[in-house]
Amino acid sequence: MRRLLFLLGALTVTALLAGGMAGAATKNVVIGFTASQTGKLNVEAIRQINGLNLWIEQVNEAGGVKLPDGTVLKFQAKFYDDESKKERVQELYTKLINQDKADFLISPYSSGLADAAAVIAQQYNRILISAGAASDSTYKKGYTLIFQVYTPASRYLTGALDLLAKMDPAAKKLAIIHEKDKFSTDVVEALKKYAEGKGYQVGLYEGYEPGTTDFAPFINKIPAGTDAILGGGHFADTSTFAKQLHEKGIKAKMVALLVAPPEPKFAELGEAAVGVIGPSQWEPLATTYNKDTAQKLNLPFVGPSVEEFNKAYQAKYKETPSYHSAGGYVAGLLLGEAIKQAGSTDTAKVKEALDKMDLLTFYGRLKFDTAKDHGLQIGHEMIYTQWQKDAQGKLVNQIVWPEAFRTAEAKLYRQ
Amino acid sequence: MRPWARLGFWLPLAAVFVWGLVVLLIGEDTLRETTFTLMMFVGMASSLNILLGYTGYVSFGHIVFFGLGGYFGFYLLSQQGLWLLPAAVGGGLLSGVLAGLLGLAVLRLRGAYFALATIGINEAARAFVSNFGPFGGATGLFVNFQAYQAYGGAGPALWTTFTYLWLVTLAVLLVSALVQGSRFGLGLMAIREDEDAAMVMGVAAPRAKTIAFMLSAFFPGIIGTLYFFKNGNVEPGDAFQLHMSIEALVMIMLGGQGTVAGPALGAVVYQGLRGYLLTSPLFKSLHLAMAGLFLLLIVLFVPAGAVGWLRHRFPRLRKVLT
Repeated sequence: MRRLLFLLGALTVTALLAGGMAGAATKNVVIGFTASQTGKLNVEAIRQINGLNLWIEQVNEAGGVKLPDGTVLKFQAKFYDDESKKERVQELYTKLINQDKADFLISPYSSGLADAAAVIAQQYNRILISAGAASDSTYKKGYTLIFQVYTPASRYLTGALDLLAKMDPAAKKLAIIHEKDKFSTDVVEALKKYAEGKGYQVGLYEGYEPGTTDFAPFINKIPAGTDAILGGGHFADTSTFAKQLHEKGIKAKMVALLVAPPEPKFAELGEAAVGVIGPSQWEPLATTYNKDTAQKLNLPFVGPSVEEFNKAYQAKYKETPSYHSAGGYVAGLLLGEAIKQAGSTDTAKVKEALDKMDLLTFYGRLKFDTAKDHGLQIGHEMIYTQWQKDAQGKLVNQIVWPEAFRTAEAKLYRQ
Repeated sequence: MRPWARLGFWLPLAAVFVWGLVVLLIGEDTLRETTFTLMMFVGMASSLNILLGYTGYVSFGHIVFFGLGGYFGFYLLSQQGLWLLPAAVGGGLLSGVLAGLLGLAVLRLRGAYFALATIGINEAARAFVSNFGPFGGATGLFVNFQAYQAYGGAGPALWTTFTYLWLVTLAVLLVSALVQGSRFGLGLMAIREDEDAAMVMGVAAPRAKTIAFMLSAFFPGIIGTLYFFKNGNVEPGDAFQLHMSIEALVMIMLGGQGTVAGPALGAVVYQGLRGYLLTSPLFKSLHLAMAGLFLLLIVLFVPAGAVGWLRHRFPRLRKVLT
């Protein structure tokens, strides 16, 4: 009898233990994406992956995300190289979903590639956080599961005009020279509309082919008396454009170009970088995105502070993070937060949590359109940086706009 | 002997027929996507072979017909509300007509001059589309996700697109085989060997070349429409990628130019290899280098391509491999 009781007791304990263990089961959440490790977009794309990987590492080290039912979620990245080419993107995303069993997806870098991936994500009922893709048009297609981290293209350069108005209210003449691709065209079309609405004259409005290396024909066409030159495209062409503007000794009150200026690598242009303004999704200097600001705005603050992010990124990758890095990190952060709030990895529940989300992170505010352009980023604001020389003559990138976040006063380009 | 009386006429057709049928029967999504990319290139390479393989005219502009035809088809579909199949055929017809007009001008050129002219056409077409308002300029065109509902939802729409691509690929191979076995095809091959001699012997070279050019341009227009529909959008940068033209050339050389089975085989091997290297954990970062090495070996040691080599090495196979 005693033996039987002992046996029963042992069994009960075992059962309880097993039950407890099952309750604290860990589940692997696979985040799938393709990245342009080769091809023309690799600089930006690799920073984005670095950012995401840092988040995954940190969240797993901190013990993962705990769900209300006790399940602990650990995250794992699964990715392929898309060679910056669209023909592979859909094939690879289908593979990620069906074979690698990706639970959530992150978009490839650049709007064109993200667009191709979005169709697949929506079709297989997977949430796709689009990082590194700013086109507005993706969100006009009726998707319900695609969520944008970046400020959309239509608001990329409009702030530069607000800054110009502040710097010199008399400035009226603009020249817009842009890369003829989807993203840059989206940006300048919105910019032109905004400029004309504010009473600016667009004296030159020209597009150049992707891959252009000689900008002399465009620079020569800039009308005399132009106050501001705006436009550009992606990193390589925009850097060359800025360099040639300097070499030609162009005088203007403002030069504001896309994508390249906020990149730390842009400083390699030396003198040619001085005074160039660039819109940035985020900057390591933007320490005003903190708990105090969140309190003022009555928003929850989630994730690390700007300083913590900078330090961790620098320690792991030995380079200053750029907005692409922050975008990658915040894509993961956003997903983790949504899963936490949903208390589940179920697509419909996580989608609902993302729809409701309105919070401040080290990267800025995040809130999505839930009406007509579902998933479009409406909370996040661009910041504008300018390369300036410090007292020692060293190049530093300063935030010059919006006024609330600035670290230095904006200077005129060349007079 | 009629061309269709030979076994070799049916072999590539049967292979692609069974291949597509198996994919449809298994109904597995990843397999469909992989096959879609492969079959797209089988169609592209085989259609280019109608010009390159039979007449010996090297064209770097094959992608123009994919791009422009695809653009037009996508325009009909997204802006004019046409159903996928008629829109795709519309794209193909535009490509064919365009090739006819272009052919009148550039087919007078021979050898390297023709090849150079075709590169120019590629750039011109892209510049045109980036500035053409109805095609959306630099931002391109897109279809709303809802558009797939008309085909029974996004999943079934992709299967429909795949089925059409499969049929188009079969059609390309059929036309290629028919041309090869016909009097018209013999004329083309005579042009390839010696154009002046062919003309003396009574081949109406300019007309024959133009027809071959039109035939080879018709199919990429259809394939382009299907591909862009599957992507949901089209932009100038995606539509006119010179590297796709060059890849199609490589596939033809790999498999064996002037044969029906060769380009199809070359496309499968080349794309299959690239797809494998791209996703294999070991070669993930080395895939381009590996593909390059592989190509170098082929070009150095098997210049006639796989099918050409087999035909040469095993004369008995000549009946089967055409």
